[in-house]
Amino acid sequence: MAHSGYIPISYWQLLLSVILVLITGMISALLGLGLIKSLLWGTLRAFIQLTLIGYILTYIFKLNTLLVIIPLVLLQCYIASREATRRITKAPHNPAIASFISLTASTVIVGLIVVVVIIGPHPWYNAQVMIPIFGMIMGNSMNAIALSLDRLYSEVHSHLERVEQMLAFGASPWESIVEYLRKSVTAGMLPTINGLMIVGIVSLPGMMTGQILAGMSPALAVRYQFVVMVMIAAATAIGCLAIVGLSYYRMFTPDGALVDSMRQI
Amino acid sequence: MNSLLIFENLRRHFEGEQGRYVMESGALEAGGILVLKGPSGAGKSTLLRTLARLVPPQGGEVHLQGRDWFSFPFTEWRCLVQYVPQKPVVFSGSLIDNLMIPFTLNSLQGKVSFDRNRAEALLKQLDIPPHLFNQTAATLSGGEAARMALVRAMLIDPEILLLDEPTAYLDGENRSRAMELIGEWVKAKHERGAIIVSHNDEDLESLPGVSILNITAREEE
Repeated sequence: MAHSGYIPISYWQLLLSVILVLITGMISALLGLGLIKSLLWGTLRAFIQLTLIGYILTYIFKLNTLLVIIPLVLLQCYIASREATRRITKAPHNPAIASFISLTASTVIVGLIVVVVIIGPHPWYNAQVMIPIFGMIMGNSMNAIALSLDRLYSEVHSHLERVEQMLAFGASPWESIVEYLRKSVTAGMLPTINGLMIVGIVSLPGMMTGQILAGMSPALAVRYQFVVMVMIAAATAIGCLAIVGLSYYRMFTPDGALVDSMRQI
Repeated sequence: MNSLLIFENLRRHFEGEQGRYVMESGALEAGGILVLKGPSGAGKSTLLRTLARLVPPQGGEVHLQGRDWFSFPFTEWRCLVQYVPQKPVVFSGSLIDNLMIPFTLNSLQGKVSFDRNRAEALLKQLDIPPHLFNQTAATLSGGEAARMALVRAMLIDPEILLLDEPTAYLDGENRSRAMELIGEWVKAKHERGAIIVSHNDEDLESLPGVSILNITAREEE
């Protein structure tokens, strides 16, 4: 078991982790939180889902073909984009398509830069590199898009009178809401920018921790982590810009007035 | 007919109410004032907002000096036909900053520029004292903000002002000052006019060239 400090978890050891579930369950029982059923179901689901994805990834890594990687990435983008717009209720139009385009564009653009230009594996579409990298970008971009879109609609809704007044002055739709567009892109990007500030001081990111546990030297792991952080920043910037750019004009009629549904919500 | 603005069977439904709508025809003469009268909920504001192209019409035609309204880009139309809502809209910054906002927009670039002297003259005429000029606009009273909004609309130099109860927030003396200014403004240049929603008949007595249009809401069968 002495290959470069990596200690695998055996099935027996895995079983020991039940102790942790028991602790959680006891706290729930003690305080009458009524969480035991969810806890057991959640634990079971997590175990099954992770086991499955473990086998699937092993299989995909072995196949290592774009014919599988591309559909997989698109499917993930589709699911993530649905998740990003699930709680958006104030949109005058269904934002699902715009969300999918923004998420896919930001993931693919930034992902290819990271994988092909920076990491440069052989072949360039190495699934073992691409899938985790694209997944990380996607998850962060998804959250940023959701934040951005939510902020966009709530800003415009709470400033409808100002928006209409700007239009009455002769403003273009863009001019009438540019202030709120800026705020919503900022809202989407801020968590990532803040993350850049505190990383390594307050938090050790999960990816870096994982690499260290897997036996990589911390000095090398931080290089990966740095690339990941700036990659996420770029992806959120692209994702937020795209979602705002694709969504704002749908609040207006072709004649540059607010659509009726914007005023009625 | 050489009317400045003509609207025919201009129709628009009420916000959020199915089946109720306003449909009116009327004409505004150059140098004239058209007063929209009618009980509240008759659709006077809706008609004004439709004329400003801030809500899409559902039918009818509008001509400005004989030219179809949709032949104007919407940004140009709204500069020419300047709508002032009843509740004055105040932006961040000082009172003067608020007056300058329209001049930051593309559609006014190269056409009208901000004239500080004229702005101050108009404000004084409406009895806004100079110490308010640099005050944060959000702290202005309703009446002060309403007068600021009227001045702001005039500075854009439109052909037509669409005023939704411009005196609603004003007391007696300021009310007649505002009406007097509107009357002067309309006459000061050729090809100007105003359409005013008003409940106060005495406001209008002082104004020359006033015609009245009674508005009633309609129901679909």
